[in-house]
Amino acid sequence: MSDRTVRRFVERLLRGQSTEHARPNDFEAEQMKTAIELRAARLGSDSPREDFVSDLHRRLAAEMTEAPQPDHPRWAPRRREVVIGGSVAAASAAAGLVVGRNLLAPGVTEQATPQAQGELDPNAGTWQSIGASADLPEGGALAFDLGSVNGFVHRTDAKLEAVSGVCTHQGCKLWLDAPESRLRCPCHSTSFSLEGATVTHQLPVAPPPLPKFKVRENDGVIEVFAPTKPA
Amino acid sequence: MIRSEREERRPQPVAGLQSVTGAAYPDWDAVYRDNVTWVYRLMYGKVGNQPDAEDLTAEVFMTALKPLRVSASVPEVRKYLRMTARTVLASYWGDRMGRQLTTIEEDVPEVIEPELIASDAPDKVRRLLQRLPDNYRRILELRFLQAFSVKEAAGQMGVSVANAKVLQYRALRMAAQSGEEASL
Repeated sequence: MSDRTVRRFVERLLRGQSTEHARPNDFEAEQMKTAIELRAARLGSDSPREDFVSDLHRRLAAEMTEAPQPDHPRWAPRRREVVIGGSVAAASAAAGLVVGRNLLAPGVTEQATPQAQGELDPNAGTWQSIGASADLPEGGALAFDLGSVNGFVHRTDAKLEAVSGVCTHQGCKLWLDAPESRLRCPCHSTSFSLEGATVTHQLPVAPPPLPKFKVRENDGVIEVFAPTKPA
Repeated sequence: MIRSEREERRPQPVAGLQSVTGAAYPDWDAVYRDNVTWVYRLMYGKVGNQPDAEDLTAEVFMTALKPLRVSASVPEVRKYLRMTARTVLASYWGDRMGRQLTTIEEDVPEVIEPELIASDAPDKVRRLLQRLPDNYRRILELRFLQAFSVKEAAGQMGVSVANAKVLQYRALRMAAQSGEEASL
């Protein structure tokens, strides 16, 4: 019995070369599989090359900024660019079926835009007093806690702005670093501006900005639109 | 009018309440950076060579990123990438070998930190090697795990180059047979 198929496969594998076309029988396939397992178990051989990671990043960036082509099947224009052709549409269709339709939004093109800062908009809310206008001079900031929500209000250019006091990463309560005009998270050193923008973080992915509250002044009282307390 | 001045809102019926399964990624760039390493490692473990592992990793991201809704949670994104990888690998083997040499399992408990889930491959290989006679185990260790050339391995084992080649292929056959029996 000739083992040429296996030998050729193993020689290329041990030289780090790509797999060639072959039609192995059951036992040959089993030997190839064993060879792959042995080769992949070599220490330190499974980290991606830096050049590869950055090059693929560039290719993806070009791909993601490409103008949407709604009249074309989604995958058709790109098939040629994919190194291993032939199965892209099938692959995406099958994966989509497994994961479920909610992951696949038709015609979504804004992936690269940064996450927008939301405004807290409770199903049921009321304007609730958080302090006297006199307590908040120009340039100052004030912490408030209404039980259901807490946050910080600040006055800049005579305008009031209020943001949530809960870190968007894992929900730790932020503290006001007044001299630096920062809201700091005690858990992972994330910091936000008084306006709620994420300023610094040490996480793999930047946490989203802090949600804002509606805020107003009413007869010398600062009020924030917050969820109604449960009866 | 009093009510409208107070701007009070009544609770509204909550339509389509969704369970939150985890944090989301801010953009495709974050999805890529956070997941490229484990996708590559997964592919490398399945094909055993760098050029194909790179091509397959590229295909996974080229295929998966565009239709991905970015508000999907981190575990959802990872599951989706894994399922895409599974399909991409299956079609690669179909094309190259007409059969599935290796596969990516479908049902894996939720992958929270893929990097932290240690592969059982080294253990499996260790058990496989332990079942072999000494000289068979030695030649496979030298050639596959320690990157020795045939000549170097032959020198190390005190046999001829021709002998080392024969040993290697016999050892691989026996390892494959023993792997088959162990998985039955």
